[in-house]
Amino acid sequence: MPKIEIDGKPVEVPAGTNLVEAAKLLNIEIPTYCYHPGLTVVGSCRMCQVEMEQNGRTSVVLGCNTPAADGMKVITTSEKVHTLRASALEFLLQNHPLDCPICDDAGECDLQNYYMRYGLHDSRVNLLDKIHKHKVHDVGPTVVLDSERCVLCSRCVRFCREVAGVDELGIFGHGMQSELMNPPGKRLENDYSGNVVDLCPVGALTDKDFRFKRRVWYMERTPSVCTGCSRGCNINIDWEIERRYKDPQRRIQRLKPRYNRMVNEWWMCDRGRYGYHAVDAPDRLTAPHTRSETNGQGALTVDLVLQRAAAKIKAAVSKNGPKSVAVIASPHSSNEDLFLLKSLFVDTLKVDTIDINVSKEETGKQDEILMKADLTPNRRGAEEFGFHSGKNGGMSGDDILSGALDGDYDVLIVVHHDLSRLMGPKELAKLDQRCDYILYLGTHENGTVPVADDVIPLAMSAEREASYTNFEGRVQKTAKPFEPRGQARDEWSIWQDLAQLLGIPWKYASAADVFDAMGNSVPSFKGLTWEGLGNSGKMLAGVPEPAYRKVQSSKPLPAY
Amino acid sequence: MSATPNVSGGVRFLSRNFGLPGQTGIESAMKRGAYEMLKRAVAMKPEDVTALVKASGLRGHGGAGFSAGMKWSFVPKDKFPRYVCVNADESEPGTCKDRLILEYDPHLLLEGALICAFAVQAERIYIYIRGEYFYPWRVMEQAIAEARAKGLIGQNILGTGWSCDVQLATGAGQYICGEETGLIESLEGKKGWPRLKPPFYPAAIGLWGKPTIVNNVETLSFVPRIFEIGAEAFAGMGSPKNGGTGLFSLSGCVKNPGVYELPMGTPLQTLLYDLGGGICGNRKLKALIPGGSSSHILKAEECENLKLDFESVAAAGSMLGSAAVMAIDESVSIPRLTLWMARFYAHESCGQCTPCREGTGWILRLVTRILEGRGRKRDVDDLFQIADNIDGKTICALGQAVAWPTKSYVTKFRHEFDALVKE
Repeated sequence: MPKIEIDGKPVEVPAGTNLVEAAKLLNIEIPTYCYHPGLTVVGSCRMCQVEMEQNGRTSVVLGCNTPAADGMKVITTSEKVHTLRASALEFLLQNHPLDCPICDDAGECDLQNYYMRYGLHDSRVNLLDKIHKHKVHDVGPTVVLDSERCVLCSRCVRFCREVAGVDELGIFGHGMQSELMNPPGKRLENDYSGNVVDLCPVGALTDKDFRFKRRVWYMERTPSVCTGCSRGCNINIDWEIERRYKDPQRRIQRLKPRYNRMVNEWWMCDRGRYGYHAVDAPDRLTAPHTRSETNGQGALTVDLVLQRAAAKIKAAVSKNGPKSVAVIASPHSSNEDLFLLKSLFVDTLKVDTIDINVSKEETGKQDEILMKADLTPNRRGAEEFGFHSGKNGGMSGDDILSGALDGDYDVLIVVHHDLSRLMGPKELAKLDQRCDYILYLGTHENGTVPVADDVIPLAMSAEREASYTNFEGRVQKTAKPFEPRGQARDEWSIWQDLAQLLGIPWKYASAADVFDAMGNSVPSFKGLTWEGLGNSGKMLAGVPEPAYRKVQSSKPLPAY
Repeated sequence: MSATPNVSGGVRFLSRNFGLPGQTGIESAMKRGAYEMLKRAVAMKPEDVTALVKASGLRGHGGAGFSAGMKWSFVPKDKFPRYVCVNADESEPGTCKDRLILEYDPHLLLEGALICAFAVQAERIYIYIRGEYFYPWRVMEQAIAEARAKGLIGQNILGTGWSCDVQLATGAGQYICGEETGLIESLEGKKGWPRLKPPFYPAAIGLWGKPTIVNNVETLSFVPRIFEIGAEAFAGMGSPKNGGTGLFSLSGCVKNPGVYELPMGTPLQTLLYDLGGGICGNRKLKALIPGGSSSHILKAEECENLKLDFESVAAAGSMLGSAAVMAIDESVSIPRLTLWMARFYAHESCGQCTPCREGTGWILRLVTRILEGRGRKRDVDDLFQIADNIDGKTICALGQAVAWPTKSYVTKFRHEFDALVKE
């Protein structure tokens, strides 16, 4: 562990740590463009030059390419260092088009930030002398390139080669005419293409999905977790609900990956990144539906639906026993949802016809980088609560459905699942006939809604605080940047209200309450608390932390 | 190609076989003693070969003037395989000496390269020839085929059990591929972008990450000669710390431009007036560029007593570099010379690191403006300052190659620039 000194402050860092990272530990910023901790070091931008004194000799070194060694004294505040930074900035800005007023990156652009901090020079270049390059270059389905803004840091090139393992971007030409481009015949279309926008320190690579939608300083940032698959990548939700002129329905503006060394490091896949559109999609369920006669009694509320559901369940159980109620729950639900669902139906009502799994479940592409085939965020969590198809004597979702078709149940509760994926129209109609009461809880219009007697709208992950257990057993929580759309509700609160109507006096005020109760009663959640999950999650009790794994393609290409 | 090389006067030590009939063929070359020194070298221990070269004081003739034997001794002890790269990417403006060796005595180079490969126990020699050198390429190709047929290249060379192959490679005509790490990247099939330093020496981490010796054509060609006359005699030929002779490419405003072989440390006057025939039109010498376009310019009075070796030229404030001496007479406009120089470097900058990529173009733009009569007084100061901002802040030496001349042109001939700009 080398001990070094940066600006007079001592710090001890692991061997091999470079000066940029060492300085971060002391909250000292060494500005960089080309350096990124997840990519190889190329040292081409020259922004991170610092003065370094070792063995009595002072020299200027690159912060990114100098590993800390015992006894080093690093100076980042001297006049000389300031001049070096200013001159690197002046070079980078020489041909920069200065179109910040129309640039999406304005407000989070390192050229702007560092210019304000270290540059502040008057331009020595005549505007008419600037070199012009491609202004709107379509590099792929998700990203647009503005070559004039590019500082040729090659982060995006290295990301594609080293992490995604593809050769889809390169720097062509030489000298001042160098330009970022697709190699001939290729486009930026890998599954992780959106990351190059995050990596771009300037506004050269912009996201087609976000381009010209919002100024970044109007947005709020909420740390959360992606629920697009069972990986559970850590994300930041950038949202804005005040100034939605262009697209009034759009509350989430974009998702950005959030660093978690043990899950996704700095990256996320495009499937997760652009998956947020579902939150404000036009087919969101925002109000309860019903097919029965309530319409005359004023506006239909979730409470009214719940009262009827409670009556139906009570009647069914007292008439035909708990076997007449069946629940097809979902691994899309959070730990809290599943915990209360299980407490209510399995533990209290003694319903054993309950499961989460159905065949023909939607699966996605899987790779060794981040994407998992299982598109549900909480299958592992559901298993921890005992929802195993067929195992320990229970029934699978498919068994329950075929039972329902045979008229085995009076009440069928379906959460999230789209029954039209599992059966044809004829069977659906038969199910509708054979089942006395079907209650559907979901987020979007789907094939279950037409056959359901009552429909309750649920909040989506961006609208609620909830915890999910990823495939490795890491419990992570989402945050709630804004209220659910319309009358949509947290699923666990539905079960709580239903339980109260059935005479169980639950009084959980928040997801955190439910979670802490869970920590006391479910063995695998023992010792976990809502606060304790923090921003990067915790492993289930008894599940060891997996070994660190570098998130990258199994066939990375060599650095550019 | 003319049969007679343009090497006249001076000494004929390295160049003694240039232009002799049939010299590029292996038969006549061997009659004159080619590969005899290789036989002598492979009978020695590899480390003794390195020690001998070190003792001879042989310096790199590619530009940096680094001790060749020292470079060979940097190879880590237990890292294999090892490679030797012959840098035949001669492209420094004013330099045209390696071409003569490639064209007129390819077996001398091959022998030198093989001795080097034996000294560092390399398994392969790459000869990286600049893209524009078509004819030298063909000569080398022929020479390699002949040497291979004689068993001098390949498995079990001269019965020693040591095997070494030689491969020719060509660049696509980029100046930057003459930089040793740029050359290595290019050999690996990548864009010729110089590597970030540290690691400083390819001798430890070079081609394919393996120990690699990169030497200039002329440097390696001297090696057989060292074996011929002995290290002491070789060292004695030149001036202190500068062993042997050197090929000097004389160009510019001289009556007899050409390549001249002279012992290191020869006075400039000998080269310029005795061999070069003096300045064109008997005009006065105004300035001198002693080591290729990337060296500092020297005013006439600064080089009156100049000796042509690395230390003397450095003491005068410039560098011997690749020994491309360019004479500039009083009829030449220094700002125009700056334009010529800036145009070259702006075109040849690889575009990897910021100061060089942006700075070279900026210098070109400023000089163009000054010469077009649109310059402001401030532009001359900017010219110096931009060059200063590039100097030493780049990944490779190309930054210095443009910064040094620019800075010295502006400081030493400021009045010529000032005369062109309006207030």
